[in-house]
Amino acid sequence: MKSKLLLALIATATVTTAHAQVKVEDAIKWRQSAYATMGWSMSRIKANIDGTYNKDDVIKAANVIQAIANSGMGALYVPGSDKGKGWVDTRVQPALFTDGPKVGKIAGDFNAAANELAKVAATGNAGAVKDAFGKLGGTCKSCHDDYRTKQ
Amino acid sequence: MNSKKRILVWDLPTRLFHWLLVVAVVGLVVSGKVGGNLIDWHGKIGLLVLGLVVFRLVWGIVGSTYARFCQFFPTPAKIATYLKGGWQAPGHNPLGAFSVFALLGVLIFQLLTGLVANDDIAFVGPLYDLVGRDLSNLATGWHHLSVNVLIALVVLHLAAIMFYAHVKKDNLVKPMVRGWKEVDQGESARGGGALALVVALVIALAAVFAASGVWLPEPPPPPAAVETPAW
Repeated sequence: MKSKLLLALIATATVTTAHAQVKVEDAIKWRQSAYATMGWSMSRIKANIDGTYNKDDVIKAANVIQAIANSGMGALYVPGSDKGKGWVDTRVQPALFTDGPKVGKIAGDFNAAANELAKVAATGNAGAVKDAFGKLGGTCKSCHDDYRTKQ
Repeated sequence: MNSKKRILVWDLPTRLFHWLLVVAVVGLVVSGKVGGNLIDWHGKIGLLVLGLVVFRLVWGIVGSTYARFCQFFPTPAKIATYLKGGWQAPGHNPLGAFSVFALLGVLIFQLLTGLVANDDIAFVGPLYDLVGRDLSNLATGWHHLSVNVLIALVVLHLAAIMFYAHVKKDNLVKPMVRGWKEVDQGESARGGGALALVVALVIALAAVFAASGVWLPEPPPPPAAVETPAW
């Protein structure tokens, strides 16, 4: 009986842990880290477009962006994370949490553009990468314009 | 009723400045709003506009009569005459002068903030390295906000031209294209010769060079012996 109770307790604890709500501070930190990492990758691709093109370098960077884009970052926009501090104060606008369909459209466009960039990066075609890079940057901008506080 | 006479109001450099600025500012607003790869063009056109504006500032001192800032600076006496409806002189009237200074002021603000701005994607202004991230973010915020002031001033400018054309029956566009205007009184613009033009062009080009940041020291290449890890 005692051991059954203990088992039940452990099971409950495990389940609770697995479903634990992401802490707001962590969510914001992870968001900021992900965007910073994508920023690194974007700069890296741009340096290749503007300077000497290194196919492998671009593939690495494009794959990073694609992976983050498809990681389900929406899970980090937990309730209450419209304000608060991760590494720095979040610049997200509250509207992002209420404009469901519009934000979803931007996120979808962003995913598609990231997938496309990774696809053309694999071919090593610098011209196609430049186009895909520009389109991806456009999807970043559409969210920055509408859902990020200007400093 | 005096017979009308034809005088030179806007010299050729002023007119070229004006129309190049029109094209360039449209290009800037479009490339800035669309983003993507056009942001590179935004930076290049921005440098062109910097050259144009610096040229105009110098031309406002050494240019011909009606291009000079001191000729149309809106002094209280001029404003008083204008408000009483007694304004007759060719060139910018006091209200137009405010428009000129406001447009130039906002453009200069956009140029200065744009030079150090970043788009948080993969573009930075040519002098970004001089200020660092925090100040750049601040400048970027201002750059985004004050473009609305610029657009509002341009709309006002166009509305004023429409008002003059339809209500006051005075076509302001033709003189800005052809240079001359039929007037009752006033003299043709004088000054702004070849030497003044060369001086203004040289200063404008020097400003573009300074703003382009090509003189900034390149980050030193990493020594060959020190390599980053292969992973």
